[in-house]
Amino acid sequence: MIKRRLTNSEQPKGRSLWQDGLKRLGRRKLAMVCFAVIVLYFLLAGFIYFAELIDWQVGPIRWQEEVGGAYEGPSSQNKFGTDIFGQSVLRKTLYGAKISITVALCASFISIVIGVPLGTIAGYYRGVVDEIIVWVYSTLSSIPYILLILAFAVVLRDKTLFGFKLTGITSVYLAIGLTSWVGLCRLIRGEVIKHKEREYVLAAKSYGCSGARIIFRHLLPNVFHLIIIDFSLRFVAFIHAEVILSFLGLGEATRPSWGVMINDARIELSRGVWWQMVAATAAIFFISLALNIFGDALRDAIDPRLRKAA
Amino acid sequence: MSENSLALSIQGLGVSFFTEDGIARAVQDVSFSVKKGETFALVGESGCGKSVTALSIMRLIPQPPGKIVSGDIVFDNRSLLELSEKRMRGIRGNKIAMIFQEPMTSLNPVYTVGNQIVEAIRLHQKKSENQAWADAVDMLRKVGISEPEQRVNEYPHQMSGGMRQRVMIAMAVSCQPQLLIADEPTTALDVTIQAQILDLLDDLQKQNGMSILLITHDLAIVAERADNVAVMYASRIVEIAESKQLFQEPLHPYTKGLLKSLPRLGLGREVKRLQTISGTVPDPLHFPAGCKFHPRCSVGCSDKRCQGIEPELREVGNGRHVACWYAQGYETEEEIKEYESKYGKK
Repeated sequence: MIKRRLTNSEQPKGRSLWQDGLKRLGRRKLAMVCFAVIVLYFLLAGFIYFAELIDWQVGPIRWQEEVGGAYEGPSSQNKFGTDIFGQSVLRKTLYGAKISITVALCASFISIVIGVPLGTIAGYYRGVVDEIIVWVYSTLSSIPYILLILAFAVVLRDKTLFGFKLTGITSVYLAIGLTSWVGLCRLIRGEVIKHKEREYVLAAKSYGCSGARIIFRHLLPNVFHLIIIDFSLRFVAFIHAEVILSFLGLGEATRPSWGVMINDARIELSRGVWWQMVAATAAIFFISLALNIFGDALRDAIDPRLRKAA
Repeated sequence: MSENSLALSIQGLGVSFFTEDGIARAVQDVSFSVKKGETFALVGESGCGKSVTALSIMRLIPQPPGKIVSGDIVFDNRSLLELSEKRMRGIRGNKIAMIFQEPMTSLNPVYTVGNQIVEAIRLHQKKSENQAWADAVDMLRKVGISEPEQRVNEYPHQMSGGMRQRVMIAMAVSCQPQLLIADEPTTALDVTIQAQILDLLDDLQKQNGMSILLITHDLAIVAERADNVAVMYASRIVEIAESKQLFQEPLHPYTKGLLKSLPRLGLGREVKRLQTISGTVPDPLHFPAGCKFHPRCSVGCSDKRCQGIEPELREVGNGRHVACWYAQGYETEEEIKEYESKYGKK
């Protein structure tokens, strides 16, 4: 690559880590395709929120409408067929994206907000703080995950917290978020312990950085790729967790979600009604695959240590 | 010597590490002072306490397990040990800067070098982002990096060891510190680059008039660059002298041993084995009693006093300081009498 020579009169411009990383990411075709898929899911979810807000009766919003008889197979009119109530499976699947994305996003947010600060504080300051945090997460992680998440979901169900009534998916993402920060916290703690012994941290101290500055400016960017990877993998896990909870009847009860659809399809399958199962599974499959590939590519792009020589 | 001509003065510094195996007294009773504009070298083997001394000046001893247990460090007529952490941060990088041994790891891998120099500048100076970037390019040019406009946007891994050390130096001197602590700045570099880096430090010193505390185990560097030298052995300073005097006439047996163990080129035809100092450096958890060098010392190893009483650093005339019972003019009359009454004539 030929770089343009700057003349002395020109101001040199700084290029940040992210500008650099995103540029490299742009060159990866497959990752961009996956990114497009992810964006599509998010747009869909956003669109449904928007349509509900302004009460715009487009397809997915009208999922309750009967479009045909019960269990009609895929046809030109109903692309994915109909379910027991004669509702369109396609519309339900599309609507399910809203539930899944909302749950996964909120749960990820909760687990990052809890896990990253705790992990960083434990790793950087060590001592008593570290011991307490480790004790808490060790206790949490000693309980089998599904049991824990079920327990949280059952406890949180229909409770009122700070004036909010925890209904349907709210209790689901709270349950998932509150139980799943452990892995991230442990990961970040370990990585911070490793990095804080590096000489660049000492060097940063030697030119006058405060503890907070070292954590936020020097340590977090160095572990940030882990948060990204963890986020992308965990996002998938959260979608799955929502499906599992809904499947077990602890999740969304009134609106269609992929978990509920799979639960319904369980009985239908024996009658040869496969389209509801396929639609929900395909919806989960594509976002899982896209998130995994994109997360990986993103890590390659923003972690300078993994960068190939330009 | 007036107080104002001193950049840094350390008095009776003691640093201990409280480990599970016991207390390691890494630095004991270290006193020296660095004049303004001079290069002061601190020489010694690995583990003798040089780096701990340097980190104590910056107040960057890892705490726990480390702790400054005694002494005082005076910089700019203020005791650094009494400053609040916030005030100390204002001094680090601004008044006292430090460069490290490993240029490979002392730059943050996720930022461009420009980014890091800009951070160092903006931490201590009120400058706009653009102004700081322009300064960063200037600094890179000053430390001899070609095409600084492009280099400023490169990541540390794209640079060689020598260049990274130049970047570290650029960061360190970006705020024109009064004192630069160079902790083995050339150890990880090859010989030609070593000379370049040291020349660079010399140039910067002349331009800014800063003092340099050069920490090294390389006596060749000391001979060429340092004005004054302190030799450290097993947590203590054993000798302080002007570097010329030290090389001409070392007083402490350890210094003598070090100088004898240097290879010399072009002296005589016959090839001789280099002399070495027998034995090994004592472990800070189990220092020998008495003079810490006595088990390895050719003059004092069987002397009861060397085995029992540790000599302190004393002036022995001619501006020279040494800590050895056998050094000329070290003992007081009383001590000679006491020694003779106890052990008989030497």
